[in-house]
Amino acid sequence: MPRAGATNSRHDRDEARTRRAPVRIDVEELGKSYGDFAALDNISLTVRPGELLALLGPSGSGKTTLLRAIAGLTATEEGTIRFDGEDATSLSLRERRVGFVFQQYALFRHMTVFDNVAFGLRVRPRDERPRPGEIARRVRRLLELVQLQGLETRFPSQISGGQRQRVALARALAIEPTVLLLDEPFGALDAKVRKELRRWLRELHTETGLTTIFVTHDQEEALELADRVVIMRAGRIEQIGTPAEIYDEPATPYVCEFLGGVARFDCTAKDGEAEILGGLFPVGNGDGDYSGPALAYVRAHEIAVVSREQAEGVPALIRAVRPFGPAITVELSIEGHHDRIEVSVPRELHDGGEIAVGQGVFVRATSARIFPKD
Amino acid sequence: MTVLSLPKRSPSVLPGFGLTMGLTLTWLSLIILIPLAGVFIKSAGLGWDAFLALATDARTVAALKLSFGAALAAAAINAVFGLLVAWVLVRYDFPGRRIVDAAIDLPFALPTAVAGLALTALYAPNGWIGSLIEPLGLKIAYTSAGVVVALVFIGLPFVVRTVQPVLADFDKELEEAAATLGATRFQTISRIVFPALMPPLLTGFALAFARGVGEYGSIIFIAGNIPYRSEIAPLLIVIRLEEFNYAGATAIAAVMLVISFALLLVINLLQAWNRRRIGFTG
Repeated sequence: MPRAGATNSRHDRDEARTRRAPVRIDVEELGKSYGDFAALDNISLTVRPGELLALLGPSGSGKTTLLRAIAGLTATEEGTIRFDGEDATSLSLRERRVGFVFQQYALFRHMTVFDNVAFGLRVRPRDERPRPGEIARRVRRLLELVQLQGLETRFPSQISGGQRQRVALARALAIEPTVLLLDEPFGALDAKVRKELRRWLRELHTETGLTTIFVTHDQEEALELADRVVIMRAGRIEQIGTPAEIYDEPATPYVCEFLGGVARFDCTAKDGEAEILGGLFPVGNGDGDYSGPALAYVRAHEIAVVSREQAEGVPALIRAVRPFGPAITVELSIEGHHDRIEVSVPRELHDGGEIAVGQGVFVRATSARIFPKD
Repeated sequence: MTVLSLPKRSPSVLPGFGLTMGLTLTWLSLIILIPLAGVFIKSAGLGWDAFLALATDARTVAALKLSFGAALAAAAINAVFGLLVAWVLVRYDFPGRRIVDAAIDLPFALPTAVAGLALTALYAPNGWIGSLIEPLGLKIAYTSAGVVVALVFIGLPFVVRTVQPVLADFDKELEEAAATLGATRFQTISRIVFPALMPPLLTGFALAFARGVGEYGSIIFIAGNIPYRSEIAPLLIVIRLEEFNYAGATAIAAVMLVISFALLLVINLLQAWNRRRIGFTG
């Protein structure tokens, strides 16, 4: 009887582990430098339990370093990382139980898919290691979860890139991780597979409920997939927010430019307002009475094209027309503005014959973000 | 008339097979096959009974046993310590690393007779090391142990130089992946790193072994060359030649060739099996 009791409690403990409430991660004043180069510069961040968070930034912005620091793969010089309040910097990798998916997957190529997924269970200390039958059961369940049933005996060299990606995920999930960290999870895949896996990862996250952080340089991926997005630049956090917040209220010129699809204008602000393309807009950042040089960002769909008769806004010349898709993209040049700007116009306007190369029109901004120029 | 006519030969993606294969065979014949065939033709002239008598002669058998036994033992020792040296050279940065790295190749460059003399001076009963171990009842110079010591010296670079580049290219992420999955350092090395090093290690072992079987110059100084005890097969061949016993010399040579070829073939098959096992085709 005591034996049965012991197995029971062990079973319960395992079950409890899988169903444990998602973990909250607190990063406090984290710093890391390589020589003179600050890879992480005073980073503070809270990842909410069960959240799907994206670290977005160009290469060299420190996003991967931050992810590796949270995993415990990179040692940091300053600051702390807490998992549910517990200082993780003092924990070993084994104790952290972090599910980490590497950009190039880092599958063990001398092992089959099954052995790869089972690795994390087989290396556990003897008294924590599940029995072979139990390991097999769990591996099968995980392969089912990542939709790779029937590939157990294949080697990594015998499966496709998307399948390798999912093996790497199943392997990371096998250790019943406290958090799931993914480094550029779709970086090495082609566009179609990326799209599929993106939706699938979203579903998987809902299913597991794990606190998940992923790194990406693709703004579309981050905005589409994540609950919140952290935009990084040169080792610092530029902005944290939901995709809607980031898109609608970019905090800095850098965020505007990184998200892309914007036209940039130099302008002058007066008493907290600036005129751009025939519209008057407030300076952002709560700088209510800023006067001086400023930068304006206007998205392609925030510029209205009006016919010459109406004569609102500023005159522009149509340079090129790309007449396909739900809205037509028109390239315009505006006097006094060096770059051509791209504008989306409704189809009707084009079909009405207003839009043609070489034609003069007027453009007017319907919305814009103004930042003081440093 | 016939619109569809199949080409006589399906053209290969890589052109020039006929030319390169022809050159390869000619070259191999000139350099390796013809000289070796000569050995067999010469010994075939003996007749089967005479050949068998020469090959199974007690002194010959003792010499062959020593040559192959010592070469295997030395290759095994080199596999262990060569791996260690390669590991240290690749994984750690320390002052003088480049110098140590360069020193590894010295056994390649040094005339083997010089190596033999140096080792003998060191391990002889009145040498630095020999005088230390003699009170313990151990003797290296002028015994079969001396042969192994000389072959360890000669064979070390083979293992280091085959393992080193593979270890240097080893993806660090694989070790990190193992660590995040909860593997201890020992588990990571034994289950992840070591399997990747197996093929080069086996190649290094084979090279060190082959070199050891054929080694002559360094051994004859340290071994003492006592018949039946510390006399190697290559030396016995030279002795037979000096006795103008060409048939005897080629008989030993033929036996050496067959055993060497068989062992190297086994190692190569092992490599191929290992490659297939980890999912490489071709």
